Amino acid sequence: MGPIELLHMSVFSQSFSPCGRFLAAGNNYGEIAVFSLSAALSPDATAANQKPVLTFTAHEGPVFSLLSTDVHLLSAGNGEISAWSWNELSKKNVKPLWTKRPNYKSSLEIPEINSMIINPRDNSLVVGGGDNNIHILDLEHGVFKNVLQGHSDYIHCVSVRDREAEILSGGEDGAVRMWDSRSGQCVHCIEVYKYESCARPQFGKWISCLTTDSDWMLCGGGPSLSLWHLRSLSPTSVFPLSGCQRQAAFYQDKILAVGEGAFVSHCLLGGEVKAQIPCTPQSLNTLQLNTNSTEHRVLTVGGSSDHIDVFTNLSYRAFSLSF
Amino acid sequence: MSSDALKKRKSKVLRSDGGTPEMKRGRGEGDMQCVEVEQRRMQSCIHFMNLKKLNRLAHMRLKRGRDQTHEVIPTLLSNTVYEIFKEIPASVKSKHEEIDLVSEGEFYQEAPQEISRPHLTKNDPHQLTLARLDWELEQRKRLAEKYKESQASRETIQKSIEVKKEHLTSLQPGLNAIMQASLPVQEYLSMPFEQTQKQTEIARHLPPPLYVLFVQANAYGQACDKNLSVSISGDVDEAKALSKPPDDSQDDESDSDAEEEQEKTKRRRPTTGGQLDDKRREMLKRHPLSLCLDLKCKDGSILHLFFYYLMNLNILTVKTKVSTATDLNTAISAGELLKSDTLLSCLYTSDHGRETPNPANRYQFDKVGIVSFADYVEDLGHPYMWVQNLGGLHFPSDSSEVCTVSVGSSLSASHMESTMKLLRGRVQSRLALHKQFASLEHSIIPVSSECQHLFPAKIISRLARWTTISQQEYMDLQYTRHVSDAGLAKETDLYFMSVVERGTARLQAAVVLSPRYPEISPLFSLSLSWKGERSGRTDDNLRAMESEVNVFKNELQGPRPGHQLLTNQIARLCVCLDVYLETEGQDDGVEGPREFPREKMCLRTVRGPNRLKPFKYNHPQGFFSHR
Repeated sequence: MGPIELLHMSVFSQSFSPCGRFLAAGNNYGEIAVFSLSAALSPDATAANQKPVLTFTAHEGPVFSLLSTDVHLLSAGNGEISAWSWNELSKKNVKPLWTKRPNYKSSLEIPEINSMIINPRDNSLVVGGGDNNIHILDLEHGVFKNVLQGHSDYIHCVSVRDREAEILSGGEDGAVRMWDSRSGQCVHCIEVYKYESCARPQFGKWISCLTTDSDWMLCGGGPSLSLWHLRSLSPTSVFPLSGCQRQAAFYQDKILAVGEGAFVSHCLLGGEVKAQIPCTPQSLNTLQLNTNSTEHRVLTVGGSSDHIDVFTNLSYRAFSLSF
Repeated sequence: MSSDALKKRKSKVLRSDGGTPEMKRGRGEGDMQCVEVEQRRMQSCIHFMNLKKLNRLAHMRLKRGRDQTHEVIPTLLSNTVYEIFKEIPASVKSKHEEIDLVSEGEFYQEAPQEISRPHLTKNDPHQLTLARLDWELEQRKRLAEKYKESQASRETIQKSIEVKKEHLTSLQPGLNAIMQASLPVQEYLSMPFEQTQKQTEIARHLPPPLYVLFVQANAYGQACDKNLSVSISGDVDEAKALSKPPDDSQDDESDSDAEEEQEKTKRRRPTTGGQLDDKRREMLKRHPLSLCLDLKCKDGSILHLFFYYLMNLNILTVKTKVSTATDLNTAISAGELLKSDTLLSCLYTSDHGRETPNPANRYQFDKVGIVSFADYVEDLGHPYMWVQNLGGLHFPSDSSEVCTVSVGSSLSASHMESTMKLLRGRVQSRLALHKQFASLEHSIIPVSSECQHLFPAKIISRLARWTTISQQEYMDLQYTRHVSDAGLAKETDLYFMSVVERGTARLQAAVVLSPRYPEISPLFSLSLSWKGERSGRTDDNLRAMESEVNVFKNELQGPRPGHQLLTNQIARLCVCLDVYLETEGQDDGVEGPREFPREKMCLRTVRGPNRLKPFKYNHPQGFFSHR
């Protein structure tokens, strides 16, 4: 990667290893870089520790989604999903365990895969992407067992509501659909842009950000980021953030959101924006909290830069990892 | 015996004395006198006896002494004789053994019978030695004769040499006459021996680095490159005058300076400023001879390189000039392209030729108060590293070098071919840019036929402006901060501003052009004014457009050597702006038709988490897709 390529690099996805000591990040050139968090966070860390311990080309297209299971790292490229063993990656062995492609109808253009999530109930992988459908991959048997159709435009994000065995998806068509994971039927469809409190017609209607926490759902994109009560299917708080949000997360009693704008927004459940912590990338695509490790409990964000900001304390940026 | 006589006499005297005095005097007084006389007689007898005794002692002593010496003298004598005789054999021995004689065996072999006389000498060592000495003498006589003979022959040969030399020198004017006469023949046959001879003659007075360059360039020109010609210009007489006294070493220079200073202050007091100026001028003096290298290019343009040698600094500098076959169209923005100052900048990476490559010069500069060589570069020429290499000069750099370093001719030869190729390439690319700039200033993007397939047939956005900007202006722009922070906007680069327009939309593109274009591609940074201000920093789609021209530039190189890169990049920008504007989502809150109706064929207008537009053009199908 020359200096010009680094200048035009974007980080789209991140995932922490099961032990919590490594961070994998995917960029727009199809590369995955593995960083050693323990080295970068140690008191005698040098600039070299902020560089990846391993960088490899995983896919042809950009790596929009990364996900870790107990032993595997799953990555999504142009219409394909690859699995890597974390053990092998720590030994710098970059051979994928397997690569699977969902069945796509059209062959003119390979659709991208934007989001993946594990449904722990039946150990399946929920995949949403550019062909407007959600594909369910049975991880035990390695076959795609279901296709959920309903969206009229491509799918940005998927989420799982474990207790109710529901899958949620947000798409470019502005709809948040809730699916029953067993039957595969769409049980609800919320068109967020139709709600006046959230709608922002000057931006558009797409939903690029979706996350759930049992009865609550955060969603945003063209419309403002809003907190919904799923039982009643109504928005309870709307967050007055200026840009379009791309990822949000519940953290303790706060909500963290990233998107357009060089900052991480801290919001309270009531709808207030408590703080906006500045970051290196000019706009952010991904936000991850390291819940797998107690000693390396950090927040990392990546976006339109080759730098990934690391927050040891949520109030300020500690340092940056770079490709 | 004498004592007896004396005794007798004494007794006589006594008797007589005794008799006389007795008769004279009476018998009374005569008794007293007889007693005295008796006493005296006894005393004198005693005295006589003592005397005798002493005499006897003396005689005995004498005898004893004589006897002693008679015993000692013979031994002394024999000792000394022995000593003397001891010396003699030694001195006598070494005298004839000093002479190196041939060994006996050899002697018997070589010497003729009458000298060696084996029947005598075999038994008698003395005769043998004599014979050997004889033989030695013989030999020496013979050798002495030989020596005289050789001397004589040498004299004669010497004389003949002299004669022949005279003969040759007498030929010289004859030869010259022939050369002169043959000049027209040479010209007719285009074999300029005379000219090359003259050059070689003058070349003898070139300083060593220029000489190396001259030889190597000539050799390269003859062997590989017919379009390279070398000539020497300058004052030969001055050069000859310079080479007569020994070269001033650095110490001499400073000593003579010190002396001069002292002298001057004694004689009169000139201003110190003038003094310093003089010293500076002296330090930066050029050798009177310079080399001119002419590189002809395929299109008829010629790159003239003038090489100078700065004697006291021991570095070479170069000045350039480009002459073209046809007059270049005057393009305002192209002003910098062919300027002598920047034409050869960074021929090799970071070789910007503004500082002297010789670390020793630093100390010299400190003495005369020169802060930076860059101030004199315009006047004296640029001391690029490759120029030093071509002259066989090598200076250690700051970083320690592990590789073996060659000097002199081999250094020059190893760099010659690559440097000549780079020089040609540089001139060609600059001339190509010159032409392109002339076109761009007239808002025409020249796209050659080989590159038509890179773009769709219909491009609506058009180039509205193409101007140069200074580095400061570039760095002041908000949307170029990331380029300066990454260290990609250097002092040696050229900066331009291009504006692409369509309808109410205005796209500004700030361009960084490296002197090593097209090896290093130009870098674009975008800012769009349309319904608000957006830039590549705030808008992911504009950033994607920047990627299209900056990162995926290999597609835009065009035919070798890739001079069309810049114009293709600008053309692509126009295409991307078209796509951007036509695929912009309809704002449902605003009434009215779209400003830019969709004309480009796209499969999908949005893709991925950051909803990018399709900027990649597919040929020949003619649709746009995502990367």
